[in-house]
Amino acid sequence: MFLEIENLTMQFGGLVAVNGFSLGVAEGTIQGLIGPNGSGKTTIFNVLSGYYKPSGGKITFKGKRISGLPSYRVTASGFARTFQNLRLFKSMTVLENVLVGMAQHAETGLLSAIFNPIAISHEEEYFHEKAMGLLKLLDIAEFADTLATSLPYGHQRRVEIARALGTDPKVLLLDEPAAGLNETESENLRKILLQIRELGVTICLVEHDMKLVMGICDRITVLDYGKKIAEGTSSEIAKDPVVIEAYLGQEDNS
Amino acid sequence: MAILDGTSGSPTRKKPSVGKWALYGAIGIILLAVPAIAQNPYQVHILNMAGIYILISLGLNIAMGFAGQFNLAMGPLWGVGAYTAAILNTRYGIPFWLNLPASMVVTGAIGALVGLPSLKVRSHYLAIVTIGLGEVINIILLNQEKLTGGALGIPKIAMPGFFGIPLNNDRRFYYLILVVVVLGYLLARQILGHRIGRSFRAVRDDFQAARAMGIDTTYYQVLAFAISAVYAGAAGALFAHLNTYISPDIFEFSSTLFVMTMTMVGGMGSLAGSVIGGLALPILQELLRVIKNWQLVVYGVAIMVVVLFVPGGVVEIARRLRESSANRKSRSSQSIAAAEQAEDSGVP
Amino acid sequence: MNNTSIFIQTVIGGVGIGSLYALIALGYSMVYRSMGLVNFAHGSIYMVGTYFGIMWYAGLVMGLHVPYPIAFVIGVLLNGAFGVLLERILRPLAKLDLMFMLLGTIGLGYVLDNLFVIIFGAEGFAVRSPLPSMPLVILGVRIQPQMLLVIGVSAILMVALQLFLARTKTGKAMRASAMDRDIASAMGVRVNRMNALTLAIGSGLAAAAGILAAPIVYVNPAMGAAVGLKGFAAAILGGLGSIPGAIAGGLIFGVLEAISAGYISSAYTRGIAFIVVVVVLMVKPSGIVGEITVEKV
Repeated sequence: MFLEIENLTMQFGGLVAVNGFSLGVAEGTIQGLIGPNGSGKTTIFNVLSGYYKPSGGKITFKGKRISGLPSYRVTASGFARTFQNLRLFKSMTVLENVLVGMAQHAETGLLSAIFNPIAISHEEEYFHEKAMGLLKLLDIAEFADTLATSLPYGHQRRVEIARALGTDPKVLLLDEPAAGLNETESENLRKILLQIRELGVTICLVEHDMKLVMGICDRITVLDYGKKIAEGTSSEIAKDPVVIEAYLGQEDNS
Repeated sequence: MAILDGTSGSPTRKKPSVGKWALYGAIGIILLAVPAIAQNPYQVHILNMAGIYILISLGLNIAMGFAGQFNLAMGPLWGVGAYTAAILNTRYGIPFWLNLPASMVVTGAIGALVGLPSLKVRSHYLAIVTIGLGEVINIILLNQEKLTGGALGIPKIAMPGFFGIPLNNDRRFYYLILVVVVLGYLLARQILGHRIGRSFRAVRDDFQAARAMGIDTTYYQVLAFAISAVYAGAAGALFAHLNTYISPDIFEFSSTLFVMTMTMVGGMGSLAGSVIGGLALPILQELLRVIKNWQLVVYGVAIMVVVLFVPGGVVEIARRLRESSANRKSRSSQSIAAAEQAEDSGVP
Repeated sequence: MNNTSIFIQTVIGGVGIGSLYALIALGYSMVYRSMGLVNFAHGSIYMVGTYFGIMWYAGLVMGLHVPYPIAFVIGVLLNGAFGVLLERILRPLAKLDLMFMLLGTIGLGYVLDNLFVIIFGAEGFAVRSPLPSMPLVILGVRIQPQMLLVIGVSAILMVALQLFLARTKTGKAMRASAMDRDIASAMGVRVNRMNALTLAIGSGLAAAAGILAAPIVYVNPAMGAAVGLKGFAAAILGGLGSIPGAIAGGLIFGVLEAISAGYISSAYTRGIAFIVVVVVLMVKPSGIVGEITVEKV
């Protein structure tokens, strides 16, 4: 399998946030991860992106183990993520935010920064072009030189995605990309995600917006209390009584 | 601010216009003419010290203003640079020109060691750790008497020569310091203007997000400390060979505070701020000598005023003035204001 | 004199100096907890407090020689009142980033230190101990009476502080205000007033430490710098914001200093204590008593 999560367990003290979770993701698909609040979705993302070391189980990507690696090395091996609560670099323009992620692909080091300014400026030019391409893809090119955190919420979400794509990922982890978006913005996001898939990027999506999830995910996995309770295509999930139960139970207290 | 220091690395940075080149030229001529204009060697000496402080401040700015790493051992690291040069010169007769790179390497390495705790501790905890390690350095300088001469310090450090011209007074030494400071400034601009500078700022702005972008934060944190220490090392070698006498008390924590103050007054997060603050404070100190003891009181009040009302320092005042004059010229739209703000991305 | 009694003597000396550090560390920690302010002017506040008390005792005011206990009380109260005044100045600083906070409070310290140089001169003076200077000998252990006074009074003050915070209505309000400013103010606690009280107590404790230390150290306007730094290191060692941590941190720091001075090298005392702080923070980055906060992504 392209991306394989095997028997993943994550404990915080006595609290078991994720319990024996397994999942295989095929290359070039959009994988949805849904479940009530506190069901462990974001925790799985945090383990996947290297922010937490799992208490048990392992994650392999193209046959190589990535669980337990520090997050920057997970990113270097082809993962990129967005954050649920926007975490753009606050001193940087939109373009600079995207450029940050490209740094890891740089071939120039500290010494060429000092002694070979020509190589540096060539590299910068190349990065700029690429970054502008991503901004165009996400339809935010006109804001390239605007301070990222001064943009409206919906645009900042797109900057997050562009920034993640800047690292040139094979797998894109999106943590609630539609949160706080209105109907139109959400529809735009849907189109963008489909375009990204066309580029050959595999997408893992944690999302509450059911319309979005049902509309674009090739496969959906449902979590409750840190365990997988269902898996399948959107139509299979929609009919699954266990899923309906989990969500109805949640509606009472939300 | 980009006009002043150009460190934002923004691709839209405009090429300096003819007027600006004329301004640079004028500044250059004034800088070269200073020793001739100065009324007495003491005035040149103040400027020489300002140059040395500018170097340390540039280092502090790179670590703290750009990479967000609290390096409060800058004073003692400056001492490491000075002692390295002094020991090499007085014991082994090695000339300044070799001592300068040697001091930079030795101090850079020790600076990287001082930076290692930054991988585990942050903010005020990191502040006290670097202060503590600075104290340790100072105590070693004070007590390794065989090597450092203890509290008495090291006298009789030779002043350098340049192709047979002895740089044996402040007026001559001035040019040496000018060259090193200009090189140091350009180097900082070069390092910060592109990828490395962006990575520093990413680490400063949001540590976890920086890691998620594939940035090896460990490397950049230690690198920031090492670079800041290299600047302190260069300043140390210059100081040892200019002053010809050094002692441990010069490099105590208070010297860190002095450099930190000038950096904040000039503008933390802006290289131009280091130059402005580094020039302004030693000169201000001289001007305020007339009011004797009240001098330091005024000084303290000035720091508080800067912190409370213009946290970006003089550089921020300049920007505000420019913005308001730009607003007067044309009712600028919000997007321009935002773009200007973006250009100032250096200021945290 | 045998090795054991020398060791005990060293430790008692360390506990004495350590309780002074603890009193100062309490000021850092309490103010940090209630205002979120790292107050680098605290060393200067300690110096000011020392003068506020000692000036009556040492004849700096109209040649008066007020008895030591009375001078002590006057100094503590005056510095407490001074703390209330400082709250007004520090309030805007508490809202800033650490870097600015640090520099702003350092600026305040500069002002205080140099005002006192102008008023009292840069030259310091030695202060006569109110107690006999003959050391007491208990089971072969020699102890300076002033050291016993330091330990005793510090202990009383720390217990009193604990009782005040735990038992009185005001103390509870202070703790509530420190825990959550918004909720406390919603419940009618006047947060600014609580902060002023916190600064008053912190400054009062610093004055107490300074007046107790005066007969052992040399009183001068620069006396706050080194002690302030050590008090801060002690507060950090214990876990900034924790009251038991400040006390533990101060005592540990003092004893470490005394032991390293007595057994390793007096020249390296300062350094060894700081190295221990660094090592402790590397192992437990939030101090001995501090809680680890996990950053939420």
